[in-house]
Amino acid sequence: MSDLDRAIAQLRACRPIPEAQVRELCHKARELLIEEGNVVTVTAPVTICGDIHGQFHDLMELFRVGGDVPDTNYLFMGDFVDRGFYSLESFLLLLCLKVRYPDRMTLIRGNHESRQITTVYGFYDECLRKYGSANVWRYCCEVFDYLALGAIVLGASSTLEPSKQKVTAPSSSLTSTQEYLDPDIEIEVLSSDGGIVKRFPRQKTVKTVGGAKGSSPAKTGAPGTGASGSSGGSVGNPGGAVLCVHGGLSPLIDTVDKIRLLDRKQEVPHEGAMCDLLWSDPDEIDGWGLSPRGAGFLFGADIVKVFNHANDLSLIARAHQLVMEGFKEMFDASIVTVWSAPNYCYRCGNVAAILELGEDGSGEGIISRSNGEVNRSDGGITGLLKEKEKVLLSGPARRYRVFQAAPQDSRGMPAKKPQVEYFL
Amino acid sequence: MSAPKIPNLLSLPGGPRSRGGRGRGRGRSAGDPDHGNAGGSARNRKDLDIQSTDTDAAVSRLSAVTLGYLHDPYASLFVAGVGTRRLPIINRGTYTRTTALDILINAFLSHSDPDQPQTKQIISLGAGTDTRYFRLRSQSKHHNLIYHEFDFPTVSETKRRTVLGNLLLSKLNEDEALFPDPRHPPPNQVSDWGFTQSKNGRSETTYCCHPLDLRQLPYTQPPHEFHSLKTDIPTLIISECCLCYLEVDNSRDVVKWFVDRVPSLGIVLYEPIGVDDSFGQVMVANLAARGITMPSLRSYKTLLDQKSRLGEHGFTYESGGQEAETVEKIWEQWIPAPEKERVDSLEGLDEVEEWQMLARHYAVVWGWRGNSGWEGWRDLRTTPAPPPS
Repeated sequence: MSDLDRAIAQLRACRPIPEAQVRELCHKARELLIEEGNVVTVTAPVTICGDIHGQFHDLMELFRVGGDVPDTNYLFMGDFVDRGFYSLESFLLLLCLKVRYPDRMTLIRGNHESRQITTVYGFYDECLRKYGSANVWRYCCEVFDYLALGAIVLGASSTLEPSKQKVTAPSSSLTSTQEYLDPDIEIEVLSSDGGIVKRFPRQKTVKTVGGAKGSSPAKTGAPGTGASGSSGGSVGNPGGAVLCVHGGLSPLIDTVDKIRLLDRKQEVPHEGAMCDLLWSDPDEIDGWGLSPRGAGFLFGADIVKVFNHANDLSLIARAHQLVMEGFKEMFDASIVTVWSAPNYCYRCGNVAAILELGEDGSGEGIISRSNGEVNRSDGGITGLLKEKEKVLLSGPARRYRVFQAAPQDSRGMPAKKPQVEYFL
Repeated sequence: MSAPKIPNLLSLPGGPRSRGGRGRGRGRSAGDPDHGNAGGSARNRKDLDIQSTDTDAAVSRLSAVTLGYLHDPYASLFVAGVGTRRLPIINRGTYTRTTALDILINAFLSHSDPDQPQTKQIISLGAGTDTRYFRLRSQSKHHNLIYHEFDFPTVSETKRRTVLGNLLLSKLNEDEALFPDPRHPPPNQVSDWGFTQSKNGRSETTYCCHPLDLRQLPYTQPPHEFHSLKTDIPTLIISECCLCYLEVDNSRDVVKWFVDRVPSLGIVLYEPIGVDDSFGQVMVANLAARGITMPSLRSYKTLLDQKSRLGEHGFTYESGGQEAETVEKIWEQWIPAPEKERVDSLEGLDEVEEWQMLARHYAVVWGWRGNSGWEGWRDLRTTPAPPPS
């Protein structure tokens, strides 16, 4: 067993590793991350996850529900730390897995991966408490500066394959492997034991960019999804590229290539494109609006549709906002929020979700993994779609697995009784 | 470890509810000396759990003061040690709740005719370490005011010692005096204490703390009278997370005790609501894990429920007025835009959705009956400050 595997085993048991080992790990991680572009290219299949916020026991529940590493490829969209009691163990485990399986783990930066925010929201205090000095916090912050700002998922299938992950389920409920799969299913929602909660077929309407502004079609998606399944019909495979970013868009960024040009190796600035990508939120407005968070912007459906069209994207996946149902599709399924911290802060009573994008088996979406240099090869996607310019891309088929908070005091891990704050 | 080997904790026998800490409650573990003596000491333990919420509030207040949300030079005197920095949403909540009560109390204390000020009375239930009276003094708003506090004898005694031990709190004007005289303390530890002021040769009480388990108040009958408690002047009852800990019948009787005696009466309640959604249910479970139950949550789930609660006591539109608002709305509508900007810039608040959810689960409810003395409240209605345009 290598030192790294030993560290992984120790962290999986929710026990911190020694300071010297953290230093070494962070050094290795930086060497790895420095090679990645600002926008990492990832090929499906991949499971996309939202905020974790130091809820270690729930991260283990996520791996149980979504499949363990390296069996499942993961893309975490930031906010690993702060708020929960185990930011340190959660982030170091993810980082170990990244170093151990670099092609199977993608970590991008959230607005909490910042020196300033972690001193307010708990990670700094936690490091100080667990190590007696701020060294480990400092090592981690140096890694934060190297995390990618976004990722592009290519080669996602537009149809749902039967769920590969066979989870142990109570015998009575149907698992997705046991049921005939309609090729036209666009969205499937599964419970944590693999039982089907809901399915939504792809709709055959064709919508054009700019056409449907202000007149959104009747919602047919799951509660909280807002999905209405706009579909390019014959675009078929692949499901179109998916941009993953922690917060959202920026008025300073109109193409993905502009993200690639940023100098990201720094503390998250208070304003500017890099800040916006990590702080912005979609909202039911036209154009751009001021954010109540004091950083980033609000952006409306028109902004998302123009951006997706200009960049040959079928979907933006982002995290950053608590959604009670774990995920929420907006703007005719052109953007989705994925939230992976159940019962957030041990207080909010929400469920969590992860988003699985399947591998396109048709052979049309052959993409080489390139770590995103400017003017990268786009794997032929642009050419394929040129003649369909006026048509919004068909979204990839999406499988959401929804899960609840794991009880704190079991699995043999140390657990702190949550002392949750209220106004008393 | 492959995923199927990770045990599913939610489907294990017993399920999460019976496995989690919250199901166990305090005071029932084997080594607990209180265990097995379910009568008095279990109740005592529960009382201590509820009294601990006052420490919570004091620490939260100090956190908000230290960071610049609120101005309160007395906050640090009631917290042992340097205190704990609270999260921004908790600080914003402390700020909003305090500011809402300040607005309501200042409006109550305002005089329609400044040349002929009317003496008014405030009764703070479960006041604990609240610094409000001292803040009113520092703003010279304590003239023509009798301020009462009710709390457990142990809490009251602790506060008396803190006040005596700090010149900032016990330094009085020349015409004022402490009672009972600290140089000649009465043999009976449990006694009313406070401040008096000489006016025209007569000594009048201006501040009075009553050591009393509030649950006993409804059984207090004449001829027993509370020191300096007046029934013939406009009187405001404040329950800042106090009555919510009492059984509903008990808390109703406490309010009724005052209603039966004071014709010109108003009340401000600040307490959680909205127990029916998942946030509310988690709140109930989390508080239960601390040994805290809030019977009010089951009976008064919405602002409407809270208003009918006021109606039952005769705080109606016909006899005065009644209003209820969530802390979320108060933050949005009562705090002027420049002040909001100032508060926001202190720490930045990233957790917008969580704030809204948390703030939606707290209500400020107020009502009054009687004509004279409530002009300030009549002009308030639900939106004291116009929302920023």
